[in-house]
Amino acid sequence: MADRNHQPQKPITNRRDKFSSDSNQSKSHNPKPSNPISNCRNDTVSAHQDFPALMGSCPFMCPVEERIRRERLRDLSVLERLHGNPAKTSPTLAVKKFCRTISTREMQASDLRPIPVLESTLNYLLNLMHSEDHPFEVVHDFIFDRTRSIRQDLSMQNAVGDRVIHMYERMVKFHIVSRHHLQRSCGTPNAVSLYHLNAEQLMKSLTTLLNLYEANRADSHSTFLQSEAEFYSHYLLLHLDSKNQGEPLSLWLRRIPSPIMKSREMRFARRILRYYRMGNYKRFIHTTENEASFLQYCIIEPYINEVRILALSCISYGGYKMQAYPLVQLSKILMMEESEVENFCTDCALETSSDGATGKGLMSTKQLVVNKFSSGPHKKDNLSNLLHQLIPLVVKMGEAFVVDSYPRSRRYVC
Amino acid sequence: MAAYVSMGEAHRRITEYLTRFSDAVSYQDGQSLSRLLSVSSNSPALLSLADALNTYQDANRIIRQSEKYSQYTDILVPIFRALQSYRLRNLVEAYVAFEKVSNAFIQEFRNWESAWALEALYVIAYEVRILAERADIELASIGKTPEKLKGAGSFLMKVFGVLAGKGAKRVGALYVTCQLFKIYFKLGTVHLCRSVIRSIETAKFFDFEEFPDRDKVTYMYYTGRLEVYNENFPAADHKLSYALAHCNASKEANIRMILKYLIPVKLSIGILPRTTLLEKFNLTEYSDVVLALRRGDLRLLRHALQEHEDRFLRSGVYLVLEKLELQVYQRLVKKIYIIQKQKDPNKAHQIKLDVIVKALKWLEMDMDVDEVECIMAILIYKNLVKGYFAHKSKVAVLSKQDPFPKLNGKPVNS
Repeated sequence: MADRNHQPQKPITNRRDKFSSDSNQSKSHNPKPSNPISNCRNDTVSAHQDFPALMGSCPFMCPVEERIRRERLRDLSVLERLHGNPAKTSPTLAVKKFCRTISTREMQASDLRPIPVLESTLNYLLNLMHSEDHPFEVVHDFIFDRTRSIRQDLSMQNAVGDRVIHMYERMVKFHIVSRHHLQRSCGTPNAVSLYHLNAEQLMKSLTTLLNLYEANRADSHSTFLQSEAEFYSHYLLLHLDSKNQGEPLSLWLRRIPSPIMKSREMRFARRILRYYRMGNYKRFIHTTENEASFLQYCIIEPYINEVRILALSCISYGGYKMQAYPLVQLSKILMMEESEVENFCTDCALETSSDGATGKGLMSTKQLVVNKFSSGPHKKDNLSNLLHQLIPLVVKMGEAFVVDSYPRSRRYVC
Repeated sequence: MAAYVSMGEAHRRITEYLTRFSDAVSYQDGQSLSRLLSVSSNSPALLSLADALNTYQDANRIIRQSEKYSQYTDILVPIFRALQSYRLRNLVEAYVAFEKVSNAFIQEFRNWESAWALEALYVIAYEVRILAERADIELASIGKTPEKLKGAGSFLMKVFGVLAGKGAKRVGALYVTCQLFKIYFKLGTVHLCRSVIRSIETAKFFDFEEFPDRDKVTYMYYTGRLEVYNENFPAADHKLSYALAHCNASKEANIRMILKYLIPVKLSIGILPRTTLLEKFNLTEYSDVVLALRRGDLRLLRHALQEHEDRFLRSGVYLVLEKLELQVYQRLVKKIYIIQKQKDPNKAHQIKLDVIVKALKWLEMDMDVDEVECIMAILIYKNLVKGYFAHKSKVAVLSKQDPFPKLNGKPVNS
């Protein structure tokens, strides 16, 4: 129990007051009393709220000391190598690594990069998304780690303000786009773990971003940034299946300011949520196809197959057992090519049969699809693989199927 | 407004308070002691004391003068400061001082043998919360981060620790728990409730029945609300119903608070409240929802949700109410069935999907036959309707026996 009784009475001080006057930072805002970045449970720095905020002074993407050390230890990423040399890099290639075990006590101003440097570092990193020289997983892994280090630098400097918000927005977009690309390569075990790590950091950076929005609103007396609604909708879409994740959605929704709730993006996300919770597979799939932006699609994507499985379950359970449900119709509702539908049915351990005139159809069965998974030999793997199969949404134009028109390349601007 | 007090009168009032305090402790008079500590109560005695303190300015000297008082210096010095500050509307100062009072009080409380001072402890817990809330309002108004309520939460956790154990004092733990709930709900850090709940519900020395009724009702109310947010409807029903049953019938405001959460829960398990209940407790925001369920009127449900959107979102029941849509669909289909039965009992169990489309159009809901089929499939899958649907003939065929199973106190299958 704290022995506060014996301390002399002290006037309350705002710890920041001691330091904001010392700062020489020209463009970015003064650090605010309580930092939304440090307030949330980042894995960055422990107890740095008790220490003064440092002002970074490192002018390079990577502090000189670290660059030389990593050259010596040959601890360079493929993307940092000068002419492919594993022991040589340069100030234009080396980027500061994320460090798990750092504490503010050890930190020096020369190790931290100020906001302008962080901005140009982020520009450099996100441009790498366009590079075709390396496999995506390698590029992603590099950007993943180095942007985490950017967030660490921001956190240690208790940085807030418009420019910081914009950086976080870009980093969140990176994680969202990666979610999409990593989903495609989910065959390899490495990709699976990258996918999950990415999901974790997506959540963390998005949560921090929302805290930054709140702090910004508190400071500037409730002016909303134009981008806010979009990112709140991303959070909602990430929590469609809110059972497994921390705070229940109902509680989160309580805190959302009314203008954001009524925004177009949030209304879209809430409709998707409603269709998901209701099990309205038709509207879920079609609304996503018709109305989701690319980023929203990337977030919803993992749920699409889950909803397709639900659709097959409902149809096979409740359909007339004397007539197979036409695959043509299924392909229309589930927005899949007919051949894909057939494979999908088989993967769900559902039978298809030929009905002569009407073509192939899904046989009805009263057995629930989900139960079939839990009784098979590879139980969870089967279901997980099925969920991660990337079967894009297709629209039937005349007789042909057209894959939805989202840009698949990495060139999406972050 | 501080009133004018002569020095002599001020001295008298201060000494009188000190005597009352030491007497209360000596004679183990919990009730008197608690009255001396309720800073926010604005009782005439405390107000006049505060005026005296602001006049006399050196009350600490009086405390030091006598052994009878000076043994409680650690409590008395800060309580004087708290009273003075509160009177002068320095709410942050008042809280900071009161926190010291509380810490010192707990030290003494631990050493006192029996549970005679529990009532005073309740006052301490209550005041800590209230003064922290007010301090935070003051902090926010001058542009600083409100963090006193968070501190109050930490302090009360310590108090909880002191009470948790064998001995008569443990009966106070539930009251402190409820204060913690109120703090966590206000701060939005609801996940922190989990650890206290675990302590109450699993610790061997707590027997729930031996806690005072008033505390049990409050406890069940808050834990019931948590179950609502987590959509565990059977548990929510159990807890909120307990709170309702044990709540003092004359406390209409409290009953209303319980019903506000219990009604959506009951609706989700198929139990509708009577209009008279809604009117008696001024819960008419639910009237249209109930009516929509009775009538199968989807348009009315959506309209009710829209009209009271802010209110439902704020209380956290919006998603629960939205999910009632499936039951509304069930009711609509049932009505069609009943109408058909009157016309031609033999054919009643076959419902053309087009008829449902028409019914929905009449309700200004635009749904094509594919979507209606989808809804029917879901209703059958979730056992809200017994039967099957035939895609080719676009008809739903209901089971001859019990085609619309009642929920019977269970929520709709997920």
